[in-house]
Formats: sequence, C-alpha cells, structure tokens
Amino acid sequence: MRSNEDNFIQRLQRKKEDALEFIIDKYLPLIKGVTYKVLSPLDNDGMIEECINDIFLSVWNNSSKFDGDSTDFKKWICAVAKFKAIDYYRRASKKVEFTSTDVERQHGMSAEDELIMSENKKELIQLINLLEPVDRNIFVMKFFLGLKTDDISSKLGLTRASIDNRIYRGKKKLYNKVNPGGQI
Amino acid sequence: MMKDIYELINDMDIDENEFEEMEASELERTKVKRVVMSSIRPRKRRWSRNATAALILAGLSTALFGMTFPAYANSIPVIDNIFRFLDVGRSGLFDHYKEYSSAMNMAEENNGIKITINDAVFDGETAFLTYSLESNQDLGAHPIVHSLFDMKGADGVAGSNQISKVGNNKYVGLMTGTSFSQDKDRETANIKWNIETIWKQDSKEEITGDWNFSLKLKATESSTQRIDRSIEHDGVTVHLDKITVTPISFIIYYDQVVNQKVRAKWDAVDIGIKVKDDLGNPYSGQGNGGAGDKEGYNMSWSKTFEKLDPKATKLIITPQLSFYNHTSDNHGSVEMTREGSDTESTVQQRKDNEQEEVILEDIIVELKK
Repeated sequence: MRSNEDNFIQRLQRKKEDALEFIIDKYLPLIKGVTYKVLSPLDNDGMIEECINDIFLSVWNNSSKFDGDSTDFKKWICAVAKFKAIDYYRRASKKVEFTSTDVERQHGMSAEDELIMSENKKELIQLINLLEPVDRNIFVMKFFLGLKTDDISSKLGLTRASIDNRIYRGKKKLYNKVNPGGQI
Repeated sequence: MMKDIYELINDMDIDENEFEEMEASELERTKVKRVVMSSIRPRKRRWSRNATAALILAGLSTALFGMTFPAYANSIPVIDNIFRFLDVGRSGLFDHYKEYSSAMNMAEENNGIKITINDAVFDGETAFLTYSLESNQDLGAHPIVHSLFDMKGADGVAGSNQISKVGNNKYVGLMTGTSFSQDKDRETANIKWNIETIWKQDSKEEITGDWNFSLKLKATESSTQRIDRSIEHDGVTVHLDKITVTPISFIIYYDQVVNQKVRAKWDAVDIGIKVKDDLGNPYSGQGNGGAGDKEGYNMSWSKTFEKLDPKATKLIITPQLSFYNHTSDNHGSVEMTREGSDTESTVQQRKDNEQEEVILEDIIVELKK
C-alpha cells in the first residue's frame, strides 16, 4: 500500500517511509518557499539545502506530536519550516555581524530577544508552558516563528501595546525563573 | 504535561496563506529525498560497473608485475613509496600521496603473520592506508586480507584493497575506504581495521587471527568549489555538484537522475566522468562508489583524480552515460545494512541483453583561485 492524500499522516505516524517521500513530493515547494524567504539574505544555498533536509527529518522524528487533519498538517509543517529556518538564521547571524536593527527588521527580534533565544531556549519552552493560551501563542509567534509585533496584533485582534505588555510580563517571569532575584 | 515546540505550534491557528510556494525541480526533489531518506534508513551502496572493471584490471596487472619482480626474491624489499609502487599502470594517481601522508609504522603480529601499516592519508573523502605483510609461510600470489576497515560514524564504507607480492612471503598493499554517511566528518577519519582472516586463494585455506589497528587521521587541507551545473540527455540528468581540491588530489561529486522511461528500458544507468584541463593535461581517477535510492537509478557519486596542475584555470569534464541490462554475468550486488545483514539482490533478466554508451557534451568549469 502506498501513501495518498487520505492516509499519509497515519502512515507517517506509523513510520512508513513512503509517507515521508509523499510529503517531500507534496510539500517541497512550500517548504522551499518558507526557507528561502527567511534564509535568502544570508546568500548561502548550502545552508538552505541543509535546512530543508532538516525540516523533513524533524517532521519524521516528531510526527507523533502532530494531531489533526491534512489542513492542519499543512499549517504544522509550515510552522516547523518557519521556526527551523529562523533557528538557522539566528545561528548563522551570530557568526556574522548584524546590527540589531537589521535583525529587528528581518524578524521582529531585538538583540536582547536574540540572547533570550540563544541562551535559554529550554527555559523559554518551559515558561511558555506556564503561560495562558493567548500569551503562549504570542510567545511562540514572536520567538519561534519570527512574527513582528504588528502581525501578531492583527492576527490576535489585540493592540500593539497590549502585546508588548504581555511580552514584557512574560520575559520578567522568565528572568525570575532563570535568575531568581535578578533585575531585567 | 510539558509541551515541546512541535506540540505548541500544533495548537496554534496558523494562517497558511502567508506562506508562498517556490518551484522545485525533479532534481531538487530527488536530492532532498536522497539525503532525508538515507538518514532514516540504511542505504544501498554500489560500485559503478566501470569502477569494478578498473579494480579487476588493477588486480591483474599487479599479478603480472609480481611475477616480473624476481630481484626481490630473497631479500627484504625496501619500498619507501608503496603508493607509487602499487600504481602499476603508472596512472600517476598516487604520485603525491606519500609526501602528504603520515608515517604510522604500526605493527601487529599474530599466528606467524606480521602486518604493518606504513603510511596513511585522508583527503576528506577517502582514507588510504599502505601496509606490508610478512608471513612465516607462503600465502600465494594474491592473499586476501579480510576485511575492509571501518570508519567511525559511517553508515558504511566502500573501499578497495590491492596487494602485491614483493618477496619471499612478503607483500605490500594499499587499502582505501570511503565512508558513506549523512553528516560525515570531513576533518578527521577515525579508522578501525580489524583483520580476522587472511585467505590463501591458491590453496583455498584460511588463516585466522587478530590484527587490530585503530588510527585517527586529520584530513589534508582542502578547498571546495560549487559547480552546480546540469546536463540532460534523453531522460538522464547529470548534475555536477562540487569539486574539492586537496594538495594530493581533487574530487568531483556528481549526481544522476533517471526518469521512468529510461528505467523501463534499462536495468541500470551509470555515469562516469573524464577530466582534462585547459592546458591539455588528462587526469586519471578512481571512482569512490556511490549511494542513492534503492533501485540504484538516482545516485550520487564521487571520483578522485590525481593532483591538479596549479597552472590550470579550467577543467573540462566529459560525462559518459552507460546503460546496462543485468545478466548473471555482469550483475551481482549485496545490500548492506547497519545491522550487518546482507541480502543478495535478485537478477531479473530481460530479453534484450544489450549495453549502450553515450558521451555527453563537455562541461567547462572555471577554477576559482
């Protein structure tokens, strides 16, 4: 039996290899689009290729964590691609000198946010787990999917100020957790 | 329960319309599948038929050479450059290996047979070990030293082993190994060579023992230039991926993609490459084998050539396609898995037993200096 539109998610979760091939055939153009958009400023085709391969591998390795139908799957794989690409971008731009405004313009992250990401990714995920659903989404969008505050505000129907405020409070929690008694 | 990032993004409502597709060619799909699928499962490896033929030839000429070497009959031969010594066809392929190799001089003696690793060099792709063997008994013209060495982190190692008799119960050999792995270490090669048996071909006897070597080699310096050029012929795409230049050699990496129409007609397609430079120097080379899909149609190959003339500014690469149908004479392959279980592949014979070769247009690559 081969994978098709109706059974590929189930087959992927049962670790049938042809499901992954099916997914590569079906989603490569989309994954390529997401990855290029994030990584093309670095002008490193080798890294883009590596990132694309890594995305499909992560989908394979983490398939059990996905829950939903094929529409949800498309959203999920796009989100995996986006956060992987941003992760690559961050790792690479740590090596190259980027001004903080460059990075902010690119992915809505300040230098301080970069630091949070690079040093405390594990703690950040723990913290996100403690937040309310709305704040959870804000943090994932901002720190993992690289969305700008404006985009988050229009998506969630919240004001920019409200989002900034929620992020500020969240970061404070994170700092207290990582560095009890410390100042932000 | 703690959720990880994959679960967190699963809970979010993401607007998929913000993502734009980009066109991806058949070659790109194949490349992604090749890398991704190979990292989730053991791969199938095979030698190109051309490479096998070359190895058999090398064996034959070594035999002839061994016989015309009576001067060494009773004295211990002093061969300080085994690389060059074993290059019997004088291809020049190994001319510069000695100067860049490290003297190992590691010896192990067991059951009356002493094996010494003399020199070793690793060019980032393939490791080369020269060895000498002294025995208290005659092992015939071509003993087989079993087995190939293993490289740390490799899904598998493809290699060759050449051995030549140089005196009474004395032999020298060259062992090569190329590791196949998704994320292989091109900086260092950690090699384990555990020899368990030495097979006397003449008397079909086996000498068992324990000759164990373990060595770590740093790669020679190298620089890599992307070529990224493709040429298509009748359903077969040849993609020249990159070239790596080392002080002793250069290595060309290339891929082949075969469409369904060609697959229906031929059991196997191989691509070989011939290389010369703008000064007219031809370069001799040795294939390192390749890895690819289960059917062996879409493959990635690499081939190592002799030292590049520093005055050359261009390389002229001529791809050559060979189409085959399997017969029991020309085909036999073994699938190796990580667990070490081997399954012999079956030969499904087709009616038309033919072979066809096509020489493609030259691809000219400007060398970056």
